[in-house]
Amino acid sequence: MFGDMAGSPAPEDLDRLVHERMRLGIVSALAAQDRLSFADLKAILQTTDGNLSVHARKLENAGYIRVQKGFEDRKPKTEYSLTAKGRKALETYLDQMESLLTEAREALEKK
Amino acid sequence: MTIEAQRDQQDDPKETLAYIRRTMESASTFTAISGWGLVASGLVGMVAAWLAWSGGVAADLRIWIPAATVSVVIATIANVLKARGIRVPIWSGVMQRIVWVMTPTLVAGALLTFAINNQGASQLLPGTWLALYGAGLTAGGTLSIRAIRWMGIAFLVLGAAALFLPNLGLAMLATGFGGLHIAVGLDIVWRHGG
Repeated sequence: MFGDMAGSPAPEDLDRLVHERMRLGIVSALAAQDRLSFADLKAILQTTDGNLSVHARKLENAGYIRVQKGFEDRKPKTEYSLTAKGRKALETYLDQMESLLTEAREALEKK
Repeated sequence: MTIEAQRDQQDDPKETLAYIRRTMESASTFTAISGWGLVASGLVGMVAAWLAWSGGVAADLRIWIPAATVSVVIATIANVLKARGIRVPIWSGVMQRIVWVMTPTLVAGALLTFAINNQGASQLLPGTWLALYGAGLTAGGTLSIRAIRWMGIAFLVLGAAALFLPNLGLAMLATGFGGLHIAVGLDIVWRHGG
């Protein structure tokens, strides 16, 4: 679908790190809440420990999210937050999605 | 869903934007439950339990129905104020789902209250209230912070104790609707700001 319209971002132009659905969910949730624990993020995205860990690590390695490990009531607690780079990546991705919609609407009006 | 269908759905910008919006909304409202609202409801529960103890009737409907009504009003106002404070929509998709998940058990609780009362088995009311409220909280809590789910499970345990040991009914009501609400409310105030 992305390649159908002239001027719209081609699939290869999209940030694949953010485009993947689970990673998009992590970045979106952290854009709305400054900090979220691993358990809260898992509940919001309704996913498994393993799936969340894998995708969160990819975002962390890319510098999109920050991970803070600590203790609460003597139990280990992992908290995530969005970095400036991650916020910028989400904004760019949103712009691309919006331009796709605008072009689809314009193409529809021309017909 | 086939892989092709999943790809189509993911590649649809409108659906993708809706997903981003839904996720941001869920994250925002996830902690929008008011701790102070729960503390206030707990205090109402404590007063109701004391009045019931003074009157000698554990499940006195003339006390507990007004107490439940006042608690719902206080909790609603407190949640609206907290949502406004952190600038999240109060009647979001998440909040609607929580209400839909909890309402059937609360309606069942109201129906059972009148049926049990009519049968003259009011010693079963404390356990019924606690267990059904716990069931509703446990289900609704899957859409919110873990403290709510744990509170639901604790209410279920108290309900079970009150059903099998009716003599402890009033103590269980005070522990649940009073103590648990206050303890979990303070925990939410401490961890999630208000």
